[in-house]
Amino acid sequence: MATEPQASPTGPATAPSVRQPAAQWATGPAVPVVSVAFALLVGMLFVLASGHDPISAYVDLFKGAFGSPYDITETLIQTIPLILAGLAVAVAFRSGLFNIGAESQLLVGAVAAGAVGARFASLPGPVLFPMVLLSGIGAGAAWGAIAGYLKAARGVNEVITTIMQNYIVVFVMHWLLQNGPMTAPNALGTPASAPIGDGAVLPVIIPNSIVPLTRLHAGIFLAIAAVVVFWFLLWRTSLGYELRAVGLGARAAAQAGINPRTRIVLAMAIAGGFAGLAGMIQVSGVFHRVFDGFSAGYGFDAIAVALLGKNSPIGIVLAALLFGAFARGGTIMQANAGVSAQLVSVIEALVLFVIAAELIVRILAARRRGPKPIEAIT
Amino acid sequence: MKRVLAYLVLAAIVAAACGGGGTGGTAGTSPSPGKAIKVGLVTDVGGLNDKSFNQAANTGRLQAEKDLGLQTQVIESKKQEDYVPNLTTFAQQNYDLVIAVGFLMQNAAWKVATQFPNVKFAIIDGAPANDKGDTANLPNVANLFFKEQEAGYLVGVIAATMAKNKVGKATHNTLCSMGGIPIPPVDHYIAGYQDAIKTIDPSATIINGYSNDFVDQQKGKEVGLNHISKNCDILFQVAGGSGLGYIAAAKEKGVYAIGVDVDQIDVAPGTVITSAIKRVDKAVYDTSKSVKDNSFKAGDNFFSATNDGVGYGKLDSVVPADAKAAADKALADIKSGAIKPKTDLTVK
Repeated sequence: MATEPQASPTGPATAPSVRQPAAQWATGPAVPVVSVAFALLVGMLFVLASGHDPISAYVDLFKGAFGSPYDITETLIQTIPLILAGLAVAVAFRSGLFNIGAESQLLVGAVAAGAVGARFASLPGPVLFPMVLLSGIGAGAAWGAIAGYLKAARGVNEVITTIMQNYIVVFVMHWLLQNGPMTAPNALGTPASAPIGDGAVLPVIIPNSIVPLTRLHAGIFLAIAAVVVFWFLLWRTSLGYELRAVGLGARAAAQAGINPRTRIVLAMAIAGGFAGLAGMIQVSGVFHRVFDGFSAGYGFDAIAVALLGKNSPIGIVLAALLFGAFARGGTIMQANAGVSAQLVSVIEALVLFVIAAELIVRILAARRRGPKPIEAIT
Repeated sequence: MKRVLAYLVLAAIVAAACGGGGTGGTAGTSPSPGKAIKVGLVTDVGGLNDKSFNQAANTGRLQAEKDLGLQTQVIESKKQEDYVPNLTTFAQQNYDLVIAVGFLMQNAAWKVATQFPNVKFAIIDGAPANDKGDTANLPNVANLFFKEQEAGYLVGVIAATMAKNKVGKATHNTLCSMGGIPIPPVDHYIAGYQDAIKTIDPSATIINGYSNDFVDQQKGKEVGLNHISKNCDILFQVAGGSGLGYIAAAKEKGVYAIGVDVDQIDVAPGTVITSAIKRVDKAVYDTSKSVKDNSFKAGDNFFSATNDGVGYGKLDSVVPADAKAAADKALADIKSGAIKPKTDLTVK
């Protein structure tokens, strides 16, 4: 990738300018673009098999996501948590860790934000909002750091711990919200917490006179800020350099004087912080309270988003937008074309399939080339 | 910067792939001049293939489309966050009736129905609830309620009669149930079931539990295996998709199960002895018809044994004639008002 701090960034000076675009295309967006195109093409076969017109289905899919200002704002609402959870997965990937726990980090952030937002509901916004924001990020970070610590101190595989953490949070949330300390006495018939204070609410940023009924909230600015933080942290700070060095080869990094253990804990804490922010934004921007089981898998879609976006800031934003558009457009496609919204899941799965296949091919090719270190997922 | 450009290309290609047919595509969504009544159905997160009330609602929708010549569509909600935009989508397209399937959509329906006073709404199992959680009738919303306790009572009569007489594999006189989440429409079923058991045999053991889920079969199966380890002979599930796991546990361990909402005898023949039926399809059909006939009634609408809105399903051959006779007598007594099944749980 262009911004990688490679050992010899300039390379041999013999006519690199001719070759570079093609090489960049091949290592950069080629696989995501091909996988999406392939998935859309194969998806057409599924639409045909279900007895519908694939072109009109895709037109409805597109119109559902971007057809009107309201649709665009709804697509963006779907995109925001995917961006942040995608960053949570990508920070870990860049540091050589596979964070399957973005889902629970997100939920922990939501619960913390919801608890603080409801407990101190009477405080004014300038006091309450930072409290809610920091508790969401902090809770997610602390929860992520646990998996990092277990990996660093005990060598426990973070894939296992983060999956286990997901289950813990889901069941603790059942307890908290269905019949526990956070359960609201009158919770809309749904297991939910009491509403957060008005000061903790992220305002809707587009007046209803311009886009009627829109729910698009200020969380989109927080998401954009987080993308900038992600980029700056990883590529413009020494900590980010160290994280990526650990990700590319922990032993080499240790030889260079970087302690991989502390970096692993930090990486998981930062990942958890991004995911916690996603949860906080869903509470402050969309629900204004915590619902049991509200997430339905942002943290898992985020893995696909990070892979499709190749763990780069712009890639993640575009991949999240694509998945957000699928989520929004899929329902409208079902409403208008009668094609099941499950088609979208099929397309997403096909995208992942191609990306995974490409990774396998690369790993095998690297093996055949000899003992050179396998390039990390970039 | 080249990478930025490359990703922009990616975005452009995706956009082109999605929108490429835009000019050539058909504009098939514009309403016909004949002005057919348009009915939109929004499922909850259980989805259309839950073999339960979402599916039943869709059956009613398709029946209404066929019989009444309505124009209908359905949207499956994937997460809670989708309820408001999905209901809004139909309302914005000037549907005549928008049906929200499920208690979980009470607040979403309130939000959207107050924004679209000229669109009619109906909520299966619920009434509009404001942001504070208080339910309030709206002039454009029909609240479609069922007397689940009556259906629960009927299958409870069958189960308790079998258990008391130790029919087939029911040897421990222990009768169990599992809800999804403890919400009124779920607990009403179980309350009626328990009421019938206590009426027929006060010495019977009753166990109840929850899977805390309406989708995940594994969670339902875990509860089922736990119940069976406590000698449960007959397992009554009230948990949508999660309940299918409860039935699977019964099948695996060779005990009996009772289905819910729709006739589930085909889910596990030989295991499912009957089903507590709630005619969600009838509620959707009747409400759609009422819009067509201009007889739409806002506020509470009850579907009960009296108007064939609830009942029990097909019986397995293991169910003896005396159990069926007892259930039919109970049905007649409920219709006449001689029996009023409880709505509060006897055993939590």
